[in-house]
Amino acid sequence: MSQKPSHRRRFAAGLVAALVVGVGLSHWTLVRARVQENRARAERVALVSLNALVDLVERAGGVGDSVRRAVAAFARENGSLTAIRVVAFDGLSLEASTASADGGDKAAPRRLAREEKPLYDQGQRLRAAVETNRQEGAARKEEIEIAPSASGGLALAAPLEKDGAVVGLVAVETTPLPSPPRTSWLAPLAAALIPALAFLVLAVPIAERRWVLAVVAAALLLGTMVAYGRYAFATIAGDRRVTERTVAGEVTAEAARASSVASELSLGDPRTLHPGSWDADRFRRPLEMIAPDGTVHEAKLAESLAGAAARTRQVFGALTVLALAVLAFVGFGSATRLGATLRKHRQAYTYTFPALFGMLLLVFLPFLYGAVLSFSDMSLYTSQAPIGDLFSKLWVGLKNFTDILGDFHVATSTAAGLVWNYQNIYWTLGITIIWTVANVAYGVGMGLFLALILNTKGLLARPIYRVIFILPWAMPNYITALIWKGMFHQQFGVFNQIIQMFGGTPVSWFEKTSTSLFACIATNAWLSVPFMMVISLGALQSISADLYEAARVDGATRWQQFRSITLPSLKPALVPAVILSVIWTFNMFNIIYLVSAGEPGHSTEILITQAYKFAFEQYRYGYAAAYSMVIFAILLAYGVWQNKVTKATEGI
Amino acid sequence: MSAPSRTGEFARLPLHVFLLIYVVVTLYPLLWVFTIGFSGQQGLMIVDIPANPTFLDRLRAIMPWPAHFSFSNFTSVFTEQPFARWLLNSVIVSAATTVLGVFLACTAAYAFSRFRFPGRRAGLMSFLVSQMFPGTLMLIPLYIIIVQWLGLGSNFIGLILIYSITGIPFCVWMLKGYFDTIPRELEESALMDGASTATIFYRIVLPLAKPAVAVTALFSFMTAWNEFIQAATFMDKVNMYTAPVGLRFFVGGFSQQWGYFAAGAIVTAIPIVALFLFLQKYLVSGLTAGAVKG
Repeated sequence: MSQKPSHRRRFAAGLVAALVVGVGLSHWTLVRARVQENRARAERVALVSLNALVDLVERAGGVGDSVRRAVAAFARENGSLTAIRVVAFDGLSLEASTASADGGDKAAPRRLAREEKPLYDQGQRLRAAVETNRQEGAARKEEIEIAPSASGGLALAAPLEKDGAVVGLVAVETTPLPSPPRTSWLAPLAAALIPALAFLVLAVPIAERRWVLAVVAAALLLGTMVAYGRYAFATIAGDRRVTERTVAGEVTAEAARASSVASELSLGDPRTLHPGSWDADRFRRPLEMIAPDGTVHEAKLAESLAGAAARTRQVFGALTVLALAVLAFVGFGSATRLGATLRKHRQAYTYTFPALFGMLLLVFLPFLYGAVLSFSDMSLYTSQAPIGDLFSKLWVGLKNFTDILGDFHVATSTAAGLVWNYQNIYWTLGITIIWTVANVAYGVGMGLFLALILNTKGLLARPIYRVIFILPWAMPNYITALIWKGMFHQQFGVFNQIIQMFGGTPVSWFEKTSTSLFACIATNAWLSVPFMMVISLGALQSISADLYEAARVDGATRWQQFRSITLPSLKPALVPAVILSVIWTFNMFNIIYLVSAGEPGHSTEILITQAYKFAFEQYRYGYAAAYSMVIFAILLAYGVWQNKVTKATEGI
Repeated sequence: MSAPSRTGEFARLPLHVFLLIYVVVTLYPLLWVFTIGFSGQQGLMIVDIPANPTFLDRLRAIMPWPAHFSFSNFTSVFTEQPFARWLLNSVIVSAATTVLGVFLACTAAYAFSRFRFPGRRAGLMSFLVSQMFPGTLMLIPLYIIIVQWLGLGSNFIGLILIYSITGIPFCVWMLKGYFDTIPRELEESALMDGASTATIFYRIVLPLAKPAVAVTALFSFMTAWNEFIQAATFMDKVNMYTAPVGLRFFVGGFSQQWGYFAAGAIVTAIPIVALFLFLQKYLVSGLTAGAVKG
């Protein structure tokens, strides 16, 4: 680049890019929020109708002609519900239906047909949900199911109760949803154009003073985002008010209809209807936004709007930071430099892109997600929560880490001696270290020993030995694990047969920590020898015979030759192999999981299997993630230390 | 070591004794699984032991030779159990993983070996560090990404992507080490003759790196063929199980069908062992080229 870059042009471009990103995403968020509000409004209106209907059907006793009359009268009065069906579990009967499919010989009342089983199942789901919530005294399972219907409306189902028990269900469909309000694109366009033009004008007197340009551009961007945020919130708040007014209107209208139906069919005193509870959530908890007289509770509305405002501020705050980052990135020339680098090394980046992209998506992104998870207390119950909740509702800071690392109750001293706490991380870490050291030591020792023997020149049947010794590596390790588990079987296992052969008593391998761990280590040791043997053999074969020749001429003994020629030549191959196999063994999940499964009482668990149990047996996802982060930290510390000592990654 | 040849094979007898003992240790578990597989029964016992067993009865019970030869475990595992389907799933997943994994690893490793570019060292180091990510940390986020975001639950593509990509770091390091040992002069002369980088890569570097590529393919295949935790997590429909998940199904939990397991294990292990032994001549050169150069 011979020409000196213009700061003015860069910041203008940066501002435009930032505005497009900032305002564009803000607008998209706003449109989405309005679509959601529109849907939520339709749901609440439909719920009011449904709850009013359920109220009437329950008054009519849930079964019989009075239910059919009530449903018919209700359908006549309320045109927004297209297919009302009432099902009673007792006798699997369709008690009433206004659905067009249920005319003629299929008219209610009749027994449910086989293909209508989903309807019955839905009722049973609702019954289970109601019972669960009552038992737990909490709102955990939704007591009303809402799903999109085939015609573009909603399909809702509510439980039908009699004397406190769920005896059936009421399912309805609504007319197609009203289309969401159009959000004008003029506002975002203006929000993007005005500051951009303003910058072009302001930039003339500033000329090429870089920092002044930066401040002006940032101020314009900030102002735009604040203004657009206010506009967006005003729109959302307006929508919310419309919702409350609509729902209030619906409650009043529904109350009038219900009382007229109730008095017409003499279903008890219409005054005992309770429209206040009709506006409820999916757990049938009244929202209490609408006063009994049909007006909106202003205090409640203000509260809900304050919540919406806080969320809007959060989202717009994040978007503003993003937009400022874009501005700085382009304005200060990083974008130009990045572009230049990418162009210059185009080939290298093209070749690495597929692998790097995949790694980002399926290795580094999950890692980051897991790292965030480790600061939350996400569990099975909250696993469906949106990502934003991880940073707010579910965020527990360092609690998981202090719980894990700050728990020093490794053992309690009792009259019977020490009682170990097998769930404690320091116990598990100790087991993991024993496991790793034993396996790697055996692997290296035996592997090197076999390699030295096999390297003997002219040894008979050398290739046959080699092939046989490699077999454990070729076998899938989960099969090996299950084979050894079978061989350690207490009653039928081969090892106990051998012990009995010599008059011993059979050992219950998995009922004591020491024997259980021994079984696991024996399995893993068996399969970790070939890797080291192959590596050592390769390195041994690359040692020049001249070296030994020279050493012999100098009168060196066999041992001296081994010490000063063989070992140093093996080092470059063995050191990385040892580092790798320490890391692999430390994280070797299959053997422990399949051979001992942590028995007895999680005492032979290693860190990685313990983390798995926290995640998939106790479903404490956040805690398990923190536990895994601790494992990662240990391995990273080990890797950095090894790297310092051996300089394995130098010169890459 | 390189002992002079005047010591005959006889002097090496102790070595052979030791080697033979180790041969027994290595082969016994494998013979054992063959014995159970061909026994025609589901139990773990090789033979029934009489009430008051003698030393010889006990000895017979540990000899890896079935009391009666029978193929019934093999036939039932394919006819009564959906094992053929599981095996086919494994073949599909492993073959696709191998192709994709080798492609991704070769291209990336070539760039890391031949080009000097900003981010190269950071990229290589991050690959190394990613080997230390505990699988348990990744499983839940991966589930969310694969199943909830990409909608690839109980789908071959999801599993293939996971296997081929998580295998990249190891393969890239191995291949890069090998590429580094291939002299650059060859490529430079080809460049002088007007060959493009792509031609050089496909026509010169890849053929020369055949041992390393073969080992990469082998490892990619083995990863996919042998993995069961992720397969069990992402494939929740029985007809989408891979062979490892299916085998564990026979002897996991309360299920004790050791005969089915052994028969299935033999069928599953034979192709991979054969492939491994076939490619083992490349193993040493492919694995250690990078490391041995010092």
